[in-house]
Parts: sequence; structure tokens; C-alpha cells
Amino acid sequence: MSTVNSLKSSFTHLDERQLLLLATFIPFAAFFTIVWLIPIGYALWMSLLHDPTGAAIFTGLWNYVDILTSSDFPTFLWHSIVYALSSTVLSLLVGLGLALVVNQEIQGGSILRTMMIFPYLLPTLVVIFIWKFILDPNVGVLNQWLIQVGYIEDPIAFFSTLKWAMPAVVIASVWKFGSFSFFILLARLQAIDPNLYERARVEGASTWQAFRDITLPHLRGAILIILLVRGIWMFNKFDIIYLSTRGGPLKATTTLPIRVYELAFEAVDFGGATALAGIMFFLLAGVAVVYFSVFEPEKEVTH
Amino acid sequence: MSFGEGAAGSVLPQHIQQRVKRIAVILTALLVAVFVTFPVYIMIAIAVQSPAAVFEGGAVHLLIDSVTFRNFRILFEETNTVRYFTNSIIVTASSTLMSTALAVAAGYGLTRFDFTGKTLAARAVLFAYMFSPIVLAIPLYVIFYTLGLLNSYFALAMALTGISAPFTIWLMWQYFQTIPISLEESAWIKGASRTRTLWDVVLPIARPGYISASIFAFAVAWNDFTMARVVMSSDKMYTITVGASLFLDRVTIGWGETMAVSLLICIPPFLIALFLQNYLLQGFNVGGLE
Repeated sequence: MSTVNSLKSSFTHLDERQLLLLATFIPFAAFFTIVWLIPIGYALWMSLLHDPTGAAIFTGLWNYVDILTSSDFPTFLWHSIVYALSSTVLSLLVGLGLALVVNQEIQGGSILRTMMIFPYLLPTLVVIFIWKFILDPNVGVLNQWLIQVGYIEDPIAFFSTLKWAMPAVVIASVWKFGSFSFFILLARLQAIDPNLYERARVEGASTWQAFRDITLPHLRGAILIILLVRGIWMFNKFDIIYLSTRGGPLKATTTLPIRVYELAFEAVDFGGATALAGIMFFLLAGVAVVYFSVFEPEKEVTH
Repeated sequence: MSFGEGAAGSVLPQHIQQRVKRIAVILTALLVAVFVTFPVYIMIAIAVQSPAAVFEGGAVHLLIDSVTFRNFRILFEETNTVRYFTNSIIVTASSTLMSTALAVAAGYGLTRFDFTGKTLAARAVLFAYMFSPIVLAIPLYVIFYTLGLLNSYFALAMALTGISAPFTIWLMWQYFQTIPISLEESAWIKGASRTRTLWDVVLPIARPGYISASIFAFAVAWNDFTMARVVMSSDKMYTITVGASLFLDRVTIGWGETMAVSLLICIPPFLIALFLQNYLLQGFNVGGLE
């Protein structure tokens, strides 16, 4: 190859490289800007306005003060925390139990694994339909059984009584998301070297000791990730609660995401809605800082 | 754990301990199987039987002894189910395509090219992945409203791509890193152009990656309720999840039709689980799904 040719080819090579860089990076940057940066920036701007969709007046942080000092904000924040924490911890426990069982070499283990994916794949709406039916006071199977065994006398309207609405929403959530923890934990369990257990057994360790000293330390990272990431997602969950209780009865299941929706589309208070959304944004950002500094998930990308 | 406690006492001989543990495990497995499948069974039992048979005599009968298509017929004759499904299919297909294409392009670019702010990009993508759809939906609603785009397939497909793209991009970004650059380099040395190499060498290897990305994007769009509820306000434009969510408030629609529509909504995800389960598990392993 002559020098001229190789020079030419290295130029076209460079051009193509740059072209490819542009072709791959521009859609990413453009899309991210249009669908994420602009809306979030716009929402943060709206949160500083009074009546942002009508005759907008700049009010500074007034919407935030208004939301944070409103008497029901602590209640809704508390509901969010209760819902996120209980559904995350319970689905972690369910997932852990199941993963330990399936990891034992039992017959039908792979069938069990396939079945575990079902609740996860059912759309949220369907999950809610099914649980609304099971827990229904008139036709519900659970009430029917509880009355038959004599545990209760009158049927309970689980989704519409103050005492039971939150547990009912949590049950439906755990049923759907238990499989999330299950798959993550199962993957970790299967990565543990079986020789470790063999050696522990030879040295006379009990099943419990083996679990405590071998299994649990291997699962620690996964458990932390589930608690943190699943916790964030459950804190942010809108559809499960909206579809099952609309936040009721008497706001008993109104969490912050439900409140954002109410403020925007029922009270038509976009200033308040975006201010509350802003508060959720900063809460999430705070947790994300912890997540990024503890796990450094992006590190694999930049190595 | 229940099977741990028996061993902790360790008064019993080893083989009995083993047997107790084995029985406990099998019992737990059975319990799990029932807990997981029973609700799904209920859905099917009510969907394929007439309400008269299910609710006969005040108590619910769940044994399937007479199969009928009555519920489905009513669904198709008296509701807009077909229309809702069509809307869902259009929106899901467009969003899946967009999200996957975007992810493949961005994933390749972010893996193979170095630039400052890469860590920031990674964090931004992960941050977006954890974001609440309803928080994003509010400003998108106002923007779409201003642009006159509410009740359009385009707006909903864009919004849904916004929800799925952070994860699909993340997944492809991770996936391309597992493909050694040396494969590409050897193709370049043999005279293939970068684009040609991308097409003929990299993409075939990345297939499991973009299949799991598209499964994820599909699931997000197909299951979505939040975005569709906000963006589509006209009955004609409802997706199946929004349309069906209103069934329970209607006097003419009962549990039979509600479970029938549920069963129909479940068919596409079930087919995917059946045929693409391994890809799905791969997706779980790379980054966890929502």
C-alpha cells in the first residue's frame, strides 16, 4: 500500500469513527434532553410558579413551603415510608425463602423457578384485578374461607377499610415483586462454591451455621441492593395503589406519588404538584448519592 | 428459617435431620407453588366460565367444569376492547423499537468511545432508571398539552420510551463491554469498515443483549398504566390497561368479563416467558428489572 493510500484510508477511517460517534451519541443525547432534562427542568421551573398553566406568577419557593407545612404532608410521607418499607422487606423475605428452597436440589425446582416468573410478568392491572377479587367482601375467596373456618363472622372489605387497606395493597405488591428478589438472590446463591458447604459439613457445622457463615455473607450485597433499589421503586410506585384504592379510604393509602397525581389532575394545582414532585426528586437524589457512593454501580462502565 | 432450626438443636441423628429438612423443603415448595399459582388459576377459572356457574348459590365455585366463551364474547361485543388492544399494540411496538434502537446505538457509542463526563452520563442514566413515572408524567403532560400532542400515539410512545430507555441503554452499555474490542480490530485489519464491522460482527454477538432490552421495553410499554392514564384522555385512544381499569366501575361488566380481559392482557407476556425465558433471566442478571 502506498503512503498516499494509507494516509487516505486513515483519514476516511477517522472520519468514519467520528461519524459513528455522532450517529451513536446524538440520538442518546437528543432523546435524553427531550424526554428527561427538559421535562424535569420544566417541572422544577413550574414548581416556582403560582398557577403555572394559566396566568403564571413567579412565587419562588412558596409552593414548597406550602407543601412542606401542609398538615397532611407528614401523613402522606409516612404512608409512603410504611408502604415502601413493608413491601420491600416482605418481598425480600419471600424471595429469600423461595430462593433457598429452589436452590436445594429438589424435584421440580426448575418448574418452581418458571412459575415464580408468572406474578412478575402479570401486568399490574391484572395483579390488582385478581387481588381485588380474592379480597372482595361479597365474592372474595379469602372472606369465604375465613368465615368457613370461623375466624371471622362478617366479611371484610379489605381494600376499603381503614385498617386493612394498606396491608391489602402491600400483599398485592409482595405477591408481584417477591419474584424480583427471588431471581436476584437465586443468581447469587448459585454462584456460591459448593465446596464451601462440603468443607463446613466435614468440620461439623450445622445447617444454620452454614447458612449464617457462608450463605448470608454471600448474599449481603444483593440484599442491600434489593433493599435500596426496590425500596426506591416502591416509594415511587403509583399504579398499584392508584388502581387498587385510589389512595383511599379517607387517604389511608395516599402516598406521595398518589398525592402528586391528585394535585395535578384533581385539584389542577400544577404548582403544588410539581413542588411535591420536586421534593420527591430531591429525596431520590439523596438516596441515589448513597447508592452511588456505596455501590459505585457506574464503575464497571468507566474502568 | 424453618429448616435451619431443627439442625441447630442437633440432638437428632444426622439422617433424620436430613429427612426432616427434606420434607420441610418440599412442603415449603408446595406452599409456594400454591401461593404463586392459585391467584393465576382463579383468573383463568373465572374468565372461562359463565358467572352463573361461578357464583351459583352465593359461594364461589372455582373448579372448572363448564368452559364457555361468553365473557370474551361480551367483551368484544359490548366494550371497546378491540380498539384498546389495537392502541396498546401500536404504542408498545413503536416504543419497543425506539427504545431498543436507541439503546443499541447509545450502548455502542458509550462503550467504544471515550469522552469526558462518561461517569456523569452513567449516573444520569441510572438515576433516571430509578425515577418515578408519575413525577415525569406531570411535566410531560403539560408539554404535550402545549404542543397539542395529548391523545396521540407519538406522545405516549415517546413517554414510554422515556421510561424504558434508561434501563435498555444501561443494559446495552454493559452488554457491549462484554464483547472484546479485539474482535472488531481484527475485522478492521482485514479491511472491513467500522460500520460494516458493527453490522456484521458486533450486532450478531450482541443479540442476547438487545433481545433482553426489547423484552424489557415491551414489558414496560405493555404493562404501563400511569403514562397512558395521563397522556390519553379520550376513550378512543385508551390503551388496554386504562380501558380495562374502568371496567370495574361499570354496572354492565362483572368479574367474568374483567378476568377475561385480564387473561387476554396476559397472553403476550406469557408467550414471551415461554419462549424467551433465558433472555429474561439474563436481563435480570445484568441489572435487575423493574
